[in-house]
Amino acid sequence: MSEPILQATGLSKTYLSGERRLEVLRGVELTVSAGETVSIRGESGSGKSTLLHLIAGLDKPDTGTLAWEGSADTGAARRARFLGMVFQSFYLIPELDALGNVLMAARMLGKVDAAARARAASLLERVGLAERGHHLPAQLSGGERQRVAIARALMNSPRLLLADEPTGNLDEKTGESILELLLSVAAEQGAALVLVTHNPAHAARASRRMTMHAGVLSDV
Amino acid sequence: MPSVSELGALRGEILNPMPWSLYLALKQLFPSGKRFPFFTAISVLGVALGVMLLIVSISVMGGFGREIRRMIIDTQGDVQIRGQGTTINDVSGLLDALKTVPEVVAATPFAEGVVLLEHDRRPAFPAVQGVDLQRIENVIPLRDYIVAGSLDELDDDSVILSSQLARSLGARIGSTVQIYSPLLLEKLKQDEVLLPRDLRVAGVFEIGHQQLDSSVVLVTLRLMQDLYGLGDSVHGVNLRIKPSADPDLVARKINAGLPFNLRAGSWMEANQDFLFVLQLEKNMIFFLLVFIIVVAAFSVTSSLLIAVVRKTREIGLLGALGARPSQVAACFCFQGLFIGVAGTLLGLALGFGALAVRNDAIELFTRLTGSEEALLRFYQFSNLPAYLATSDLVLIIACAVGISTAAGLLPAWRASRLNPVEALRNE
Ligand SMILES: Nc1ncnc2c1ncn2[C@@H]1O[C@H](COP(=O)(O)OP(=O)(O)OP(=O)(O)O)[C@@H](O)[C@H]1O
Ligand SMILES: [Mg+2]
Repeated sequence: MSEPILQATGLSKTYLSGERRLEVLRGVELTVSAGETVSIRGESGSGKSTLLHLIAGLDKPDTGTLAWEGSADTGAARRARFLGMVFQSFYLIPELDALGNVLMAARMLGKVDAAARARAASLLERVGLAERGHHLPAQLSGGERQRVAIARALMNSPRLLLADEPTGNLDEKTGESILELLLSVAAEQGAALVLVTHNPAHAARASRRMTMHAGVLSDV
Repeated sequence: MPSVSELGALRGEILNPMPWSLYLALKQLFPSGKRFPFFTAISVLGVALGVMLLIVSISVMGGFGREIRRMIIDTQGDVQIRGQGTTINDVSGLLDALKTVPEVVAATPFAEGVVLLEHDRRPAFPAVQGVDLQRIENVIPLRDYIVAGSLDELDDDSVILSSQLARSLGARIGSTVQIYSPLLLEKLKQDEVLLPRDLRVAGVFEIGHQQLDSSVVLVTLRLMQDLYGLGDSVHGVNLRIKPSADPDLVARKINAGLPFNLRAGSWMEANQDFLFVLQLEKNMIFFLLVFIIVVAAFSVTSSLLIAVVRKTREIGLLGALGARPSQVAACFCFQGLFIGVAGTLLGLALGFGALAVRNDAIELFTRLTGSEEALLRFYQFSNLPAYLATSDLVLIIACAVGISTAAGLLPAWRASRLNPVEALRNE
């Protein structure tokens, strides 16, 4: 069998806030295989975002190990290729138009060539923004911004897509279509998906459902 | 004319291979779809104003300095030999000896002193220079400074007056002036009665230096030797040296062969104090004006610091996209560098532009304020001199670019220290 896309074992994280020790994650185990979609639900403050940050290699766990396709290298250079992230608040760069935001991911890997431009354009088309490539984020609606962010997250053909409440800032109908898009595009592009959401209906769409409670991750 | 799409492709060719940090820096300076980038324009203008003022002031200071140096060399030669408390008795021997120094192009002996000059009952006490008419023009371009009469008219019974002296005495070409030398006073003490020498005014000179033009007269060396009872002796010899030779080195070389009571000194050495003051003034101006650039740089720093705070979340996102802290830092550093380079280029253009129209500007100003005459009287120039040494230009450019780049360092450091996780939490 091939290596899992993601393997996290015994991840724990503790924050010190003043005198108090806040155990945010306590021995999280998570394995994600290729093509899998995992949803994580849990009350606010249970440590979902913290887990995603650890998985993304943006933060270091206090204990535990993390492997991306069997390798412990979770450095910035590998991150640019290996995973894409989508956030609740979109985080588009306001100075760049939609196409520029999608291409920013390619820029991280170095040169932007004709093939990269073609891919960015086709991704924008795929998320339904073919005509909006030269619009600035300020000229786009929330749903449209999240579509650009999804195209950007998929630009470098990542193996893993991390989405932290991607529909949290959107109305129900828009959120529905964004979730639809996220699931189908991730499947088309061959990326595994870890989706953090508060919405039970959205969580149910994943192939595997998990909950986070007080820093402990468990299958539903 | 290239078409719009061709231009777009060209822009793409330049932007596409750029490192992302540089690309993003340019995009932050010139955001897509924004009609006018105010932050960039104002920052560039701040640096440009400083550079412009530096270029203009240092050039004008340099121009004055050069004029003054030219005056000194034109009146004293490159190197001057003087007796130390004595006169030079064997002039022709000394001149022959100087011929063996290869750097020396020409030499002219002189005698100097002070006399009482009278015209129309108006007295003056000018310094007097006795010049060797056969040799003087090989060393000093005296003829260039004669504004009335002629150098050829000068003989042992005539005198050339400096312009302001002639004006204050009311003397013209052909007027007669009386001259009393200190020797006359000596003889008076011994109860000999001697009449003053009557001299004809043969010419008027003007060098363009307040002091030289107000109270100097030129006579022949022969007459000066008579007036001062020097016999065949002189007070010193002025030398012209090859343009490529260093006056200090030549002076040292000549000194090695001179008797102990004679000494050669370069014009720089003789005017050390004055040159020091000139340099000091220029340094002070530079030091003060550089602060304009420093202040401009402070405003760039504060704007960029605000940008770092404002962009905290995007900086976090860049981390999520795979940016390294050093690349984030480079993005902000580059903005400082760009503002520095662009500001310097604009400042150079404005500065040299201002220098090009300086005389028209002054003319306009004096005409508007009716101060044309005052300007001429106090500054003795109608054309403002300007000269910018390459070393000064390089220094100005280096300071402007260096200071503005430094302005980006603090924001860059702050940005690079942002923890992407904290930045992303900053919702
Ligand atoms: N730098 C920090 N210092 C102290 N405590 C922190 C820090 N970062 C996070 N926490 C705490 O860790 C806990 C988990 O936060 P996290 O953002 O992972 O929760 P979450 O499950 O994503 O919640 P939500 O659903 O509201 O997004 C919270 O109680 C939070 O206050
Ligand atoms: Mg969260």
